[in-house]
Amino acid sequence: MTTSTENTGISDITETVRAIVAEVLAVSAAELALDTDLRGVEGADSIKVLRMIARIEREFDVELEDEDVFGVSTIAEVADVVRKALP
Amino acid sequence: MSVTLPWRTREDHRCFGCAPRNPHGLGLTFEQAGDALWTEFDLGHHYESYPGVVHGGIVALVCDETMGNLIVLRDGVPAVTTSMRMRYVGTVHVGLPHRVTATLTSVPTTLSGPALIHAAADVTDVRGDLVASATATYHRSAP
Repeated sequence: MTTSTENTGISDITETVRAIVAEVLAVSAAELALDTDLRGVEGADSIKVLRMIARIEREFDVELEDEDVFGVSTIAEVADVVRKALP
Repeated sequence: MSVTLPWRTREDHRCFGCAPRNPHGLGLTFEQAGDALWTEFDLGHHYESYPGVVHGGIVALVCDETMGNLIVLRDGVPAVTTSMRMRYVGTVHVGLPHRVTATLTSVPTTLSGPALIHAAADVTDVRGDLVASATATYHRSAP
């Protein structure tokens, strides 16, 4: 069972991740569902995905493992690895 | 206008990154913009890894140099790197201009405890797109 605080935390993380993804890929955040395959978004490529990751690491002051970086494909998955990386 | 590093005029200043008289060095110069320090570089084939690609270690060096000098200019004393981490995003091409911009992300708020300073640097290409980023920790050393 999760607490409301934990829910708020992951929700905030998710929305920040969604905003960064939208900005880097130059698409509307509203177009990005939590399960959207990031590499499948029009205009996305491996460099842009890494650029997103760099922005997200800086935003949350975390260092994501490369296994996570190359293992995630959706906003929900990115938010989850960020949450786990936070102190 | 370039900022002047405290040891720039010393005869024994041979820093690989920023000494003007090291024939093997990069001879970086720096500019200040608000709280940030930046440098531009455009490196030749002597500094590549794969053909046409600047070696990632050299890119890290420029980041380290820019972050470290930001602290030196701010505090007036040398700061040594204690750890550094790179995130490589794209390719730094030989023969094209790139910019490294460094900022401080946290500084000690008290005089007690270890004087650790955290900094970050972004490497951008001529379009302003991020190609690499760095985070690092520095320790102030005695002058």
